[in-house]
Amino acid sequence: MQAFLQQVISGIAIGGVFASLALALVLIYNAMGLVNFAQGEMAMLATFAAYALINRGMSYWIALPVTLVLAFGGGIVIQRVVIRPAEKAPILALVIITLGLATLLNGLAGFIFGYVPRSFPSAFSAQTVDLLGVFISYRDLGVIGVSGLVLLAVYLLLQRTTVGLTLRAAAHHPEASRLLGVQVSWMLALGWGLASAVGAVSGIMVAPILLLEPNMMQSIIIYAFAAAVLGGIESPLGAVLGGLIVGVTVNLAGAYLPFVGGDLQLAVGLAIIIVVLIIRPNGLFGRAAARRV
Amino acid sequence: MTALLEMEAVHAGYGQTSVLHGVSLSVPEGGVVSLLGANGAGKTTTLRAITGGVRWTGDIRFGGRSLRRMSTEDIVRAGIAHVPEGRGILTELTVDENLKLGSHLRRDTKEVRKDYDRVFDYFPVLKERRALSASTLSGGEQQMLALARAFLMKPKLMLLDEPSLGLAPIIVRSIFEIIRSINQSSRVTVLLVEQNARIALDLSTRAYVLEVGRVAVEGDSEELQGNESVRRSYLGY
Repeated sequence: MQAFLQQVISGIAIGGVFASLALALVLIYNAMGLVNFAQGEMAMLATFAAYALINRGMSYWIALPVTLVLAFGGGIVIQRVVIRPAEKAPILALVIITLGLATLLNGLAGFIFGYVPRSFPSAFSAQTVDLLGVFISYRDLGVIGVSGLVLLAVYLLLQRTTVGLTLRAAAHHPEASRLLGVQVSWMLALGWGLASAVGAVSGIMVAPILLLEPNMMQSIIIYAFAAAVLGGIESPLGAVLGGLIVGVTVNLAGAYLPFVGGDLQLAVGLAIIIVVLIIRPNGLFGRAAARRV
Repeated sequence: MTALLEMEAVHAGYGQTSVLHGVSLSVPEGGVVSLLGANGAGKTTTLRAITGGVRWTGDIRFGGRSLRRMSTEDIVRAGIAHVPEGRGILTELTVDENLKLGSHLRRDTKEVRKDYDRVFDYFPVLKERRALSASTLSGGEQQMLALARAFLMKPKLMLLDEPSLGLAPIIVRSIFEIIRSINQSSRVTVLLVEQNARIALDLSTRAYVLEVGRVAVEGDSEELQGNESVRRSYLGY
């Protein structure tokens, strides 16, 4: 039982990482109906930025917010420079652009930092604490705490502030929002900035576990897709719960299903995507796509 | 009275199809002007041209300033509230959030609070349903929400696109009473697009009748109401 609970807790921790990246995907999907295939690489590049800052002697807890600000700005720049010129293009063209962007950012990181995996510091020690017989590492608790805080901050921003209200309005009804004076184009840029910053958290949280290199996020993005699809690609809350469910499921499958082990965990993530799309394409929290004719 | 809004020989259309063929009209400050005509005459396109929703040539001036090349957002911020065809309710959001989007650009907090009181005075049902999703409102309630939201923008000019569409006559009457009250006590100028000519002419002081993208008849509302042949051939009652 204790071993099981330990697996659940570390599943929740890695689930927090998936949840952050899934939330980033959902933010952009909501804003423009686009799945951003470059989200993982954007997070990876932000993590390299954090790495560079920490390597230059900046403390972890200063480097983290600085990186988030940089990622936010980077997301806005990407939207303005790469996405906006193609705003009116068919959605498939935009999807291809994000794929190209993913390749570009991956190559850029390789060019600057090389492909040798580097160890990334964690703010939390790998030691464990005994909570009623269940041993939990400070690192897992830290990841849960930081992801939780970020998700809470995004929730409050979207639901409790005027900026969040106009962001949601612009995402759902761009035309009607323009008539209310909402600057829709800037709201899209803001959405990209926000998504980029939230995604960066997932990269920084996962880097101490996976080692930092340009391909670090390529498995994480699959889990994030699984989480977003499971939650219903339009629902921020769904993305978060989906992330936690995927994290726990993958972790338990790795621990208790001998044929899965460590090697087939990614396949579990892909299986979740396929099963959800077959059984419940709108996910747990998605609304059925209805169209008035 | 000086003109708040003037359109001069405005041509507009969608892609290759042109809809307006030189529409000129003038809306005096503080007045109510009706824009009447059959389906497809160009009434909605006229409103869309004013708030930059469709490409146009000619000139449109608001408060003496040309709206040429201004974005929809900037035109709205200059003081024009446009309640579009279909009412433009954001159905994913709550009633309260829709109202907040109306007032979100205003900094005169005290006045905003007073205006909310006015709105809930006009439409008590919106106060009851503040926390509910706007998608749960009936058609009449959605029209009330759209009007309330436009009022909270504190506009100089309101463009109303068929506020009577699809509503029961008794609700139409009460909504038009409130439009009259908004015009008279808050000095908001109104340009009203309607198919229901009778109720529109009762409210407005001046009217234009569009026919296939051109102004066919214009005049004082009373005059048009009294003119049998205009009534028969253009207004259909």
